[in-house]
Amino acid sequence: MKFGNLVIAGLVTGSIYAVFAVCVAVWYRVSNILNLAVGDFAMVGALGVDNLYRVKGLPLPVAIITTLAVVAVFAYAYDRVVLRIAQDGPRRMEGIVVTFFFTFALSFFIDGVAKMLFGTDVHAAPALWNGESLTWASLHFERAGLLVLACAIIIGGAFWVYIRYTLGGKALEACGENAVGARIAGIDTRRYRWLIFMGTAVIAAIFGIVESPITGYTYLSGATISLTGFLAAAYGGFRKPGRALVAGLFIGILEALLGGYVNAEYGDTILYALLAAAVLAWPRGLGFESAVSG
Amino acid sequence: MSLARKRSVAPTGLVLVAGVLIVLVYGEQYTGSVFVLSACYAVVTAGMAVQIGFSQQIAFSQSVFMGVGAYGVALLNTHFNMPVLVATPIMMVAAAIAALVLGSVVTRASGLALAVATLMLPLIAVGYVSNTNALGGPVGAPLTGQLWPSSSTSASLIGGGLITVAFLAIAVFVASRILTSDIGLELFVLGVDERTAAAMGVRTPRRKLELFVLGCVFAAAGGAVYAGTQQFVPETLVDPTAELALLIMLFIGGRRSVIGAVVGALVIQYLQGASNWVSVNILVVEGVLLTVVLLVDPEGLAGIVNTGIARLRSWRAGAAGAAGVSGAPGVTVATSATSATSATSATSATSATSATSAGQSGAADAVLPGAVASAAPDDSDMQPVMAPALARTSSVRERQAPSPDGSAPLLKCEGIGKEYGGLSVLDDINIALPALGLFGLCGPNGAGKTTLLNVIGGSVPPSRGQVLLDGADITRKLPHERFYLGISRTFQAVHLIKGRTVLDNVAVSCLASHQAGIVTRIARSRLDEARDKAAQTLTELGMQHMQSREVSSLTLENQRMVELARALAPRPRLLLLDEPASGLSEQQRYRLADMLRAFGEMTCVLLVEHDLDLVAQVSQRIFVLSGGRLVFDGGPTDFRASPVVNSLLVGL
Repeated sequence: MKFGNLVIAGLVTGSIYAVFAVCVAVWYRVSNILNLAVGDFAMVGALGVDNLYRVKGLPLPVAIITTLAVVAVFAYAYDRVVLRIAQDGPRRMEGIVVTFFFTFALSFFIDGVAKMLFGTDVHAAPALWNGESLTWASLHFERAGLLVLACAIIIGGAFWVYIRYTLGGKALEACGENAVGARIAGIDTRRYRWLIFMGTAVIAAIFGIVESPITGYTYLSGATISLTGFLAAAYGGFRKPGRALVAGLFIGILEALLGGYVNAEYGDTILYALLAAAVLAWPRGLGFESAVSG
Repeated sequence: MSLARKRSVAPTGLVLVAGVLIVLVYGEQYTGSVFVLSACYAVVTAGMAVQIGFSQQIAFSQSVFMGVGAYGVALLNTHFNMPVLVATPIMMVAAAIAALVLGSVVTRASGLALAVATLMLPLIAVGYVSNTNALGGPVGAPLTGQLWPSSSTSASLIGGGLITVAFLAIAVFVASRILTSDIGLELFVLGVDERTAAAMGVRTPRRKLELFVLGCVFAAAGGAVYAGTQQFVPETLVDPTAELALLIMLFIGGRRSVIGAVVGALVIQYLQGASNWVSVNILVVEGVLLTVVLLVDPEGLAGIVNTGIARLRSWRAGAAGAAGVSGAPGVTVATSATSATSATSATSATSATSATSAGQSGAADAVLPGAVASAAPDDSDMQPVMAPALARTSSVRERQAPSPDGSAPLLKCEGIGKEYGGLSVLDDINIALPALGLFGLCGPNGAGKTTLLNVIGGSVPPSRGQVLLDGADITRKLPHERFYLGISRTFQAVHLIKGRTVLDNVAVSCLASHQAGIVTRIARSRLDEARDKAAQTLTELGMQHMQSREVSSLTLENQRMVELARALAPRPRLLLLDEPASGLSEQQRYRLADMLRAFGEMTCVLLVEHDLDLVAQVSQRIFVLSGGRLVFDGGPTDFRASPVVNSLLVGL
């Protein structure tokens, strides 16, 4: 049952990529900015809870709520201070500057602060559901993995309903299509931008807390998760959360299978080479026709 | 000595003199070693300025090729006992070959796809390196040799430092030479828009590959001197964080400035070396610094300096007499100072030119001595100047061109069809155009006008049918090949190179460099020839007085005029114009109509336009598309009377 267990492990990592990809895609729809700092919020969630609970001795619920609140406030402040000037000011920035570099800078900043606060060791938030892994027909389910999957399904479903069936979801799409037009139509694009940014930051932090018992995080872990989530979002053409979700799951499973069957050491290397080849082989099909210019 | 040469020699000299002085004075101290380390990175960022900054080809390949250079030198040195200085050029050649192979695959992608595909390179590289014992794995690879082998420590430090400075000076020289050459202008257009570049004859696939290889060779050189001076190659040299750090250096310094890119690398590395706190918390510092610099000026430190210079000049010009000047907009590439006039014209983009330019051209002439002699006193004088000049040209052309009626048509579209995933956009279009005259192409939104223009221009391949030019089948030719055959075009949106002059923007279509390799321009630039041709066209169009103006300081009307001049300058046989009147006022359209008529006497023009009056005024024959089919084909009188046209386009 090696295959089954690999697929389960792949589903768990894949669901994280998927949710992060959805976060990147949804916020890109609103703001036309690619958020490369999503993973860093996950890292802050995991290491923050660990620090408050294990080092500072706060009760676990208090530690979790405090960490999430800090993440939310920080995300709001970032939007208020930096993105207001970059996006709403008289010199609205466009092209690659906005697409890549603001959140590159944010990612570096968060990682640096995390290094100051939490050090460089591997830590993890305490497991929320303790106990042996569950076994069913020779398939092993880590409890933390099941939690991650559950969170992914809930959050993915909530996003889907929100975008598909609510007025807010439609407005969201309008913001990204044409910010000026959306504003004329009475949509407060700024409000959506900070709301979604804050929302995705908190979601990422929750995932960090739930997932960290499986892998353990350092202050640099965020960048890797961000990149993989970003890649998954890329396969969804950045604007299509549904496709991003599928791509994320697929990448996770592929990663596990390559690691298990092909080569444990070079598994990731092969995975990334395959992903690069996919982009080059089908740039149109993967939704890259909306290329960055300027 | 030409201006272009000065512009490339000045930064090189600056780097060389400053670098040598620093190495000689501080070479044996800590400051010196920090400087040498940062110079290694600066070699890489100088290449990135050309590849990413100017040409907008975002490829995340630099840290990987820094690793190729560094690890290659380390291996050759430790295993084959090869001196570092010998191993370095070997690894640069090896990197060039590797980049050529890799680049011929990845540079087929553009924009985001290129960025995403190459984003995986650092991930692949770090996975490979950390699992490969021959490269030292996660520990890193040590070197036994030095860049300048010597038994005395001080000699090897200073010698190594001087060699590094020499590498940096060469890198800056090559980068500046390419950027100030005619190929540099090609790269600027490539940075604005790939399709426009192709339509102007730029062989985009080749240039993109060359840029990729150039960036990789610079990176490998930087990596090799890094290995030689540091005597150790850490695994972190190739990881994604290193790649992002390089990009941050580029952006902090100024992505569109070679010196800026060098300064960016020096600043970041120097800060790390100078303070232990910064070195430990470099991520925070880089993050904050990049955010602040981007917020102040997206063009980085170089942009801030240039804006400062432009402000200073405009302040001086203001003191000299021009009235009502308050600060320049973000003119970031300091070409010719036009800031004195830009403030006025930017605010009045929609009003008629004649109203705004009364005060402007005077001020512009005061700043630009070259334009004084030939300058018209006012933009509104354009027609009297233009018409006779154009008429002269057309008479010359008529003698050369075959008689319009006698022989076969110039352009023939036979049974053109185009489908996008089953949706028919064009269906069985047959059009034949003679060698002279202006032909209108109308139709409601989504009728397929622009698609047809793209099929003729070559940016969209048709699903069925043939495009013939002079009887020869050109259906399979690429856009730049069609440009060489004499097809020139404009696009709906204005795609000019901001920060460059009108003259340079027009010169883009007169370049003789399309067949040349990028390396040939290190020796000799032929930009001046292109500028001469462009100046001639501008004079014929009565636009010579604005030739030294920076394009973003122009009104929309004048920007469109510049695009028309650019399309006309190569003397095309077929001119494709996509909605040149959109966004123009009634009065401006009258002037445009005069200009278009003159074009029609010189060459064959196919005009896509929504303004039916304009089309009827200037065209001798009009085609109407609806739902991808040709529904009308006739003269302007029939056009006005046709019930089909009226019901379709006027709503009668």
